Amino acid sequence: MKKFSLLLFSLFLMITTGFSQENNITKQGHTNQNKFRQLKQDLPTPNSQRTASGAPGVNYTQQKVDYRMDIVLDDEKQRISGSETIIYHNNSKDELAYLWVQLDQNMRAKDSKTPDISSGKIRKSLSKSRFNRSYPKEEFDGGFYVTGVTNTDGSKLSHTINQTMMRINLPKPLASGETFSFNVKWWYNINNHRTQGGRSGFEHFPKDNNNNYVIAQFYPRMCVYDNVEGWQNDQFWGRSEFALEFGDFEVNITVPADHMLGATGVLQNEKEVLSKTELRRLKKARKTYDNPVVIRTQKEAIELEKTKSNETKTWKFKATNVRDYAFATSRKFIWDAMAVDINGKNVMAYSLYSKEANPLYGDHSTRAVAQTLKTYSKYTFDYPYHKAISVDGQMGMEYPQICFNPGRPNPDGTYSDRTKYRMIKVTIHEVGHNFFPMIVNSDERQWTWMDEGLNSYMEMLAELDYDPNFPITRGYPKNIVRYMSGDQSKIAPIMSKGDNVYSFGNNAYGKPATALWILRETIMGKELFDHAFKTYSQRWMFKHPTPADFFRTMEDASGVDLDWFWRGWFYTTDVTDIGIKDVKKFYTKENGDRVNFIEDTTPGLSFGEEKTKDSKYHYEITYNKPGGLVMPIIVHFNYTDGTSERKVYPAQIWRYNDKEVTKVFSSSKEISKITIDPYQETADVDTSNNSWPKPTKNKFEKFKQKVKG
Amino acid sequence: MKLSKFWLLLVVLPLFAFSTHKYYLSLTDINYRSESKSVQIIINVFMDDIEMALNKDYNIDLQLTTKKELKNNDEYFQKYLDKKLHFKINNIPKTFTYVGKEYDGDLVFFYLEIPNIKSINDLEIENTILMHHFPDQQNLIKLKVGKKHKSILLTAKTDKGLLKF
Repeated sequence: MKKFSLLLFSLFLMITTGFSQENNITKQGHTNQNKFRQLKQDLPTPNSQRTASGAPGVNYTQQKVDYRMDIVLDDEKQRISGSETIIYHNNSKDELAYLWVQLDQNMRAKDSKTPDISSGKIRKSLSKSRFNRSYPKEEFDGGFYVTGVTNTDGSKLSHTINQTMMRINLPKPLASGETFSFNVKWWYNINNHRTQGGRSGFEHFPKDNNNNYVIAQFYPRMCVYDNVEGWQNDQFWGRSEFALEFGDFEVNITVPADHMLGATGVLQNEKEVLSKTELRRLKKARKTYDNPVVIRTQKEAIELEKTKSNETKTWKFKATNVRDYAFATSRKFIWDAMAVDINGKNVMAYSLYSKEANPLYGDHSTRAVAQTLKTYSKYTFDYPYHKAISVDGQMGMEYPQICFNPGRPNPDGTYSDRTKYRMIKVTIHEVGHNFFPMIVNSDERQWTWMDEGLNSYMEMLAELDYDPNFPITRGYPKNIVRYMSGDQSKIAPIMSKGDNVYSFGNNAYGKPATALWILRETIMGKELFDHAFKTYSQRWMFKHPTPADFFRTMEDASGVDLDWFWRGWFYTTDVTDIGIKDVKKFYTKENGDRVNFIEDTTPGLSFGEEKTKDSKYHYEITYNKPGGLVMPIIVHFNYTDGTSERKVYPAQIWRYNDKEVTKVFSSSKEISKITIDPYQETADVDTSNNSWPKPTKNKFEKFKQKVKG
Repeated sequence: MKLSKFWLLLVVLPLFAFSTHKYYLSLTDINYRSESKSVQIIINVFMDDIEMALNKDYNIDLQLTTKKELKNNDEYFQKYLDKKLHFKINNIPKTFTYVGKEYDGDLVFFYLEIPNIKSINDLEIENTILMHHFPDQQNLIKLKVGKKHKSILLTAKTDKGLLKF
């Protein structure tokens, strides 16, 4: 008996080791590397602040910060000076010994470390503008000059400046539920954003010696304190943008009297700053839904830019529940306005632009703003603010209720379609940022993709609503192939911090937008996706979501497990490549009480004459997957009778074998051609293996044939 | 008038940074086809960039994909590529024929062919496309011979590379 079992055991060993020569080597185990394993080990543990469903929990808290500011613009010196009272509400359960303030302008200070961390080489030559930017004649005297940090009684308040951040050393710890108010005074020199770059600044017009100001990050503003990061502890290096708290603003901005100004918030004194004519036109605009009404005309603006007023005017604004503040001002500005009906609520779409941007802006800017508000409201939540402004700022940068956009016509007023579409595209994108991250307030310093990716996806829907033939250049799966199939050493996973990724635009904008597009169009379907996306937007409006909250909500609200998708698309740099490896054909023949499958070895896909008449056409198809991503297999079968059929095998088909799977497909009709992903829905990086019979001509040869006729 | 427009493009494009996030990359796919004994080359570049470079170099206004598109633009593309692109196969300089171009979204694809190549042991490529006007331009080269793949990234500093099997 013992002998017999030994024999059995050795037989078993021989079988399990496959008679290999490694008989004596002990087999090593492995951890779970299945691409469908759950993300539990990668995501933070849910708690009562952030739940497993992806919703804010019962103990979710958020700080609130209110600002009262007086701002003066010096147009002669291009300088901002200001004083503010910051009212900080500690809504957390924690006691705070200090507060942190962001001093973003210090990125431009003489002692900024930002230039020190970028590498550079001497080029053969540079354009003059680029040369002047990289090798300025004089060092720019940028950064905040903080001239006073005081308690509300005027006494000095202890503080420590660390580059782009400032710690307020509280006289006594701030208990949960308490409020602390303090004052800051400062000034800074405004950068010329056309020659020096930047997310705000001024543009100088030598012809009429005027400046357009687009002003942001102009005041010391509070850092976020939450249960994910504690205090923000990451400097502003210049690329990864901002994390901010919501609060109420009261802002008085003093500018030359002949300026037209637009800003975050509701204007409190329109009778003091607008003419009677302008007020009359504005009243009309508030009831005009089809065409923009011009409130300050080009003719009026041209008259104003000829002289310079020595007087000033103070524009007074109140903004409720916004995370930031920005404004734009110039005597060159033309202003047009149109009302937008958002589910019965009137929202105003505004544009401010100099004559150099007209007629491009007059034709399209305000309409693009209106379209954005409509489309985004449809897919997320009704736009909660009273207005959205697009400013001819010749960059692309977003703030609550106001954004700065590029695009100008040729000097003769003509513009190409590409200039037009680029301007509309950026305008939709920047206005769209009102939703992500101005309201769905993710942390862009940590996770650029959370607002840029979601917004780039939503932007596509608004563009297609604006013009069904809109030339979309980013977001379709085929558009990302060039990036994803590139040099792997220069690609980072989406789940990377913005400051550290290569090819920022593809990493944080294009690829996540494509991923969402694929989820909606191909994996989840529009209905399930739209409901989940809306749920996420509404759960986290006026709150601070993290990636886990997004991933969890999308699954929780749709009933679709997407851990494999997040893992592949967001945590790795893997690519999609699915192909057809082999196709075998069979017909059946009855044999007593059995049915036999007989292989048809006729070359190609067609069956030979031996096939029995009453047998179906049976195909055994082996699909292989050279790419690392698991994705559904989308197959198109073309039949010899001219009809076709689409079959989608869910991604889970790869759960047992990540390299290849074999499927049986039976049909009453004969197949002439099999194609994988014919409409390029999956970002397949190599389509040369996507059809059967194998193509005889490659892309190059097809093109050559087309050209030669 | 023309000049000021170019100036605008030159200055504005690099500053678009925050929303369109331009990057400067072209892709040159080189495939040796033993059946036809030819080297097939497909290059894709950003339309905006190539248009601006050619407009400036040849003082033209291409207006690609518009109704006013310059009719003989292929002559300029060919001239430009002849100047910026050089091949040596097995250490012998080779010229290519310009088969044509097509547009796809914001990209232009060029199709080039080097005929009569019996075999490839090594291929040297110099590719300075767009590097003059865009100092950050990177030109990624991928070579496929049979089942073997090689790739190299060319920049203004290293604008030439040898791919060896």
